[in-house]
Amino acid sequence: MRPALLLALLLAGCAGVPPAPRGPDVELAAVPFFPQQRYQCGPAALATVLRHAGRPVTPGALVSEVWLPGRRGSLQLELVAAVRSRGLVPYRPPPRLDALLAELRAGRPVLVLLNLGLRAAPVWHYAVVVGYRTDPPRLILRSGTTRRRAVPLRRFRRQWGLAGRWALVVLPPDRLPAGDDPAGYLRAVAGLEATGQGTAAARAYRSALRRWPDQPPAWLGLGNLAATAGRWTAAADHYRRALALRPGWPPAVNNLAEAEARLGRRGAALRLLDAALARPDLAPRWRTVLRRTRAEVADPVPP
Amino acid sequence: MRRLLSVLVSLSLLFGTGLQPVRAALVSTEAALAGAPLPPRVAATLQRADVQARLQQLGVSPELARQRIARLSDAELARLDQRLDRLPAGAGVIEVVGLVFIVLIILELVGVTDVFTRI
Repeated sequence: MRPALLLALLLAGCAGVPPAPRGPDVELAAVPFFPQQRYQCGPAALATVLRHAGRPVTPGALVSEVWLPGRRGSLQLELVAAVRSRGLVPYRPPPRLDALLAELRAGRPVLVLLNLGLRAAPVWHYAVVVGYRTDPPRLILRSGTTRRRAVPLRRFRRQWGLAGRWALVVLPPDRLPAGDDPAGYLRAVAGLEATGQGTAAARAYRSALRRWPDQPPAWLGLGNLAATAGRWTAAADHYRRALALRPGWPPAVNNLAEAEARLGRRGAALRLLDAALARPDLAPRWRTVLRRTRAEVADPVPP
Repeated sequence: MRRLLSVLVSLSLLFGTGLQPVRAALVSTEAALAGAPLPPRVAATLQRADVQARLQQLGVSPELARQRIARLSDAELARLDQRLDRLPAGAGVIEVVGLVFIVLIILELVGVTDVFTRI
């Protein structure tokens, strides 16, 4: 009985293993390699993807941007910030192997976070995926001090899975992700907008609209960039485009009202806000925001 | 002299406000996508100071800490402020001690982990 039970358990275990992704094989052999110094895989992996995107950086120069001596490592957020500060889009593909492979096949190396240890005793490591081979299934990595490390698929899945399947692709603002992921792309671009990279953000929003013309956040973003530059007429036009696609969307209502007020049309601004505030399905958090804007529009503080 | 000072002050005010990515009354695209308005500006400013101080504790020079903080959005700062000590910091070479070290050696030998192989 015992061996049979063991066999059943093993078979059950096997049934849970997902099949290996299909070919064709891909390997981006031209992706540069920077061997890691001491604990500094963050700067090395980051330099690899930035150099591939045409930015002349070295790991040594990135240490002062992303290295945290007290943690002997680099935070994901700071890698993302370093990409943005160069006017590039730090796109995070969906946490799936096929999304990672799609980027690879579009010619882009993928920076990944791995946990080489255990869930309870994590050993975090950044590496860059540059290839995939099907027979036997292996991921090809630039990793640590190894230029071409072939990791068995099963092992990669485990290590990547234990790190939340975190992946990062560096895109110039006129390039789009391989997969159909407008939300993920726009999140990355909104980060550019929020950190003063207006020129790159505007180009990226326009790229997004060429492929996904029905995305209100892209119009909201263009409106915010115009507003930040003081171009309130253009901003109002962009906000109206967002509202045409998603009527009553509170962020666009709020910002259009602000633009109307700045353009001297306080009546129009108040009508917009009152219409939105009259809707019973308005979420409380947005109600607070719209009320605050209404108070400012109705009773402007003298400059 | 006084005129020069006032020009400098107004210039710094002008550029100081111009640097803020989105005006206070506007909802940033980041907040709109997250489906939640961000905390008020005052809280964000406090968070900035808080995270900067902690980066300095972790060995980043004051000037670099200031520059690195300036590259993060308010939403990211809020995350860092809450979780800086728990967020993974990718490094790759271990420093594990005692029992954990022995457990890892055993797991490495049976092929579960990948810590001591040349990564």
